[in-house]
Amino acid sequence: MRLVKLLLAVLLSIILILLDTRFSYLDNFKRFTLTLLSPIYIIVDFPSQVIDWVNDKGADNENLIGENDYLKGQLIELKARLQTYNNLALENQKISALLDSSYEIPNHDVLLARVKSISQSRLSNKIVIDKGSNDGLALSQLVVASSGVVGQVMQVTPLFATVRLISDPTQFMPVKNSRNGIRGITKGIASNEKGMIVEYVPLDSDVKVGDLYLTSGIGNSYPSGYLLGRVTSIDNSLDPSFLSITLQPSQNMDQLEMVLIIKGKND
Amino acid sequence: MTNSNHLALLVKISIIALITCAISLPSFLEVASPFWLLPFFSYWVIYSNGKNIYTAAFILGILLDIIEGGTLGQNASALVLSSAFILNVKKSFFVSNLTTQQVYIFLGSIIYLIIFLLVHQLTQDLNFKWLLLLSPFTSAILWPLIRYLLAKLKQ
Repeated sequence: MRLVKLLLAVLLSIILILLDTRFSYLDNFKRFTLTLLSPIYIIVDFPSQVIDWVNDKGADNENLIGENDYLKGQLIELKARLQTYNNLALENQKISALLDSSYEIPNHDVLLARVKSISQSRLSNKIVIDKGSNDGLALSQLVVASSGVVGQVMQVTPLFATVRLISDPTQFMPVKNSRNGIRGITKGIASNEKGMIVEYVPLDSDVKVGDLYLTSGIGNSYPSGYLLGRVTSIDNSLDPSFLSITLQPSQNMDQLEMVLIIKGKND
Repeated sequence: MTNSNHLALLVKISIIALITCAISLPSFLEVASPFWLLPFFSYWVIYSNGKNIYTAAFILGILLDIIEGGTLGQNASALVLSSAFILNVKKSFFVSNLTTQQVYIFLGSIIYLIIFLLVHQLTQDLNFKWLLLLSPFTSAILWPLIRYLLAKLKQ
């Protein structure tokens, strides 16, 4: 009888594995259960919340004034850069109008979120952020940080969301070369958690070490134009039809504290 | 212990185990850390006469899969099969010294690790890290501490 129970439990596990990897029937069940289990995330994150609160309260006046001055400097620098960007955008619009092009520089609605100190599976590259469906987050939204794309929202509960990093081997993203627009699809490398590869780029394509890859926006799943990484190596001997391009992500995933979620066009 | 006491102990152990699993550690420690759910659940299997062990293992594994955002059934299958091993050596646990118990936990963790990696390999690219091989050792090393703390909880 015990053996039958064991076999039944193993069989059910196998069925669940198949259903979860091949179909999306269980997504609602997972979302509902994760919402019920959210208090566990709150309990785990509580100590770091307390430490943050103590640090905020304990920060002396001098440090705060120093930090404020530094941030003001940064703001001025960014505003100056933005002026150049605005000029370029204006010029781009004029050229687009002259060429009768329908391309527009998108103005996206973004949301700031903090990365939580909650662990995810040890074999996948994911982070948990402190914003959820209550803040308007939805599945598949793009997540970026100061230096580039971080990943994609893969699971949402009312209070938290899980982001799969671009360096995860199961995360695919359509990209284009910033120099010549050659398209491909990136995915993480299982053997190197800090690297990515670009797939489906034909052998005779013009790609050089140092080229930058951006989100292409193909399929409308992601907004276009966000930096993913820089080409570190190109190999044409691994595949008879396609180049094997390795990218170094532009965003350092080890030092993430705050991220921006691109919610959609802000028209 | 009555049935409701067994269940209450299981609920307490499950909550503590799931919280422990969700605590973030530096990346190298996280990979080498024990499969927390197994030693916690093993304690319940050994020191409580609770029934429906495989059902409990299956449900607990599913909850961990959901918390970790992994493939549904990955931890469940690993926990069910490794708890089958623990159940087989349950009687000898009582007459064994601490070192022998650690060996049993080590073997149970190896079963857990093999199933866990096998499911990962079949469902997605295997993201193998050598430090993962340390997790059965850390499970065994921390077993005396886990046993002591859970014994206090049981009282």
